[in-house]
Amino acid sequence: MFDEPFRWMEAISTRHSYVQAKLKKGQPVLAVPYQGGALMMGFTAQPGKIFELYDRIALGSLGHPADVERLRMTLLDMAHLEGFNRSEKDVTIARLLQFGIAPAIKQNFEEVMRAPYLVKLLFAEIDFDNQAAFFRLNYDGHSEMFKKGAVISGNDKESEWIQKQIEQTDFASLSLEKALIEACHLWEEGKKQGAPESEDDEDPPVGLAEAFDQWTLEAAVLSTETERKALYRRVTPDEIESLKTAAK
Amino acid sequence: MSDKPDNNFNGPGDFIDLLERSGYSWPSAIQGLTTIDKASVLQGTTVLAFHFKDGVIVAGDRRATAGSAIMYERCDKVIPIDDYSLMAIAGVPATAFEMARILSHNFEYYRRSQLQPLSTEGKIRALSKLLKDNIGLALQGVGAVSPIFVTYDTKEAKPYIYFYDLLGAQFEIQTHTATGSGSPVIRGILEYENLWGSKTLAERNLKGAAQLAIRLLQTAAQFDSATGQARPEDKIYPIIASITEKGYRFMPEDELAALFLESTKRK
Repeated sequence: MFDEPFRWMEAISTRHSYVQAKLKKGQPVLAVPYQGGALMMGFTAQPGKIFELYDRIALGSLGHPADVERLRMTLLDMAHLEGFNRSEKDVTIARLLQFGIAPAIKQNFEEVMRAPYLVKLLFAEIDFDNQAAFFRLNYDGHSEMFKKGAVISGNDKESEWIQKQIEQTDFASLSLEKALIEACHLWEEGKKQGAPESEDDEDPPVGLAEAFDQWTLEAAVLSTETERKALYRRVTPDEIESLKTAAK
Repeated sequence: MSDKPDNNFNGPGDFIDLLERSGYSWPSAIQGLTTIDKASVLQGTTVLAFHFKDGVIVAGDRRATAGSAIMYERCDKVIPIDDYSLMAIAGVPATAFEMARILSHNFEYYRRSQLQPLSTEGKIRALSKLLKDNIGLALQGVGAVSPIFVTYDTKEAKPYIYFYDLLGAQFEIQTHTATGSGSPVIRGILEYENLWGSKTLAERNLKGAAQLAIRLLQTAAQFDSATGQARPEDKIYPIIASITEKGYRFMPEDELAALFLESTKRK
């Protein structure tokens, strides 16, 4: 069946549509710089969106939890083996993606008889000069690098709007508190911008107050202000409580 | 990205299993090697740990020796394993540093993959297992390590000190411990200070505890050639670290320099 090029292209196209439909309701995850490092945040009905990957690398995700978990474990294995066998300084997102999972995901996506990964991944990294960098990995193995921050979302319109705003906002000059508030506002406005014109069969966009009330805000930072080797820490419940008041 | 579930023997989140699956193996005893004099490679150091008011002080001198030769005067013998654990090493540096690296990756890999920190009991057994795997080299006298492991249990809000023998037996220490060639010199002083000093060790604050650690290491160096004296003119000071509810902290050099000066003057 797939020995004819058209059939194969058609199968790939169908596969794109299938995965995009499955990811459509994936909630946005934003990663931006701030004065003291890099921040990653997202609202979620089910906790398990943001993770520590290595000393200076955080991972954000959306999609099927089993696929996220499999890729997360693969990345953890690769990062820790590399850090042990060589050095912590040799563990970078660029290497993990370029020589690690991106080619494998692309191959998986193009093997049309295998189930595709239903995921989008977001990465934040602080290098040893304390510079932040952000990466996005698509379900088809395509990866991109961003300097000013990045977003993943199941809704392309939403994601494009938030990405544009991230590029125009000077997050790097903001304190953690202000960066969090600004990221929350982008999240809320992005939901509005990405809402379908016809509201026949779609859920209405979720506002910040509703999101705080019904969902969990997951947020973590890679802090350059810590004396620890591992820069990752979760934003504390106290910090989130004060954010609730400030962001509304 | 294997489709097979992770059926490793030690359970999920075990970095040593992952290492072994990648082809790594801990060296076994060397065939045909006769046992050498353990004392010549075993004990060229002094490291110590004791409970103080807010946690545990861990300290060590900086000298590395090979027999009677001084090889290095800036050796770090107190090694961070994770945010709440430190290991002080006495023994063969190659083996001790490798154990520390494996342990550090093991704890962090477990915490990140299982989304919760390894329990204190799990941490203590992990080091014991490494030492047991090392029995062959330890008995041959070329890879013996006798470490002190200190960790803070955040759930219990309590610090722990464990002393290990060469074969992996672990002993929880309630007050103080020391290991290495200089340790016999200071163990008596620690006991004396705890029983009849102005305050018990556990009642001392960080500064008082750090001062005592500096004085103990200087005393050990006075009697043991394998324990290095501090050399302020070359900015060589002992390593002084503490573990409290906030995690580990190494005393920075400027703070250490001032405290060293104060500690070594007669009152």
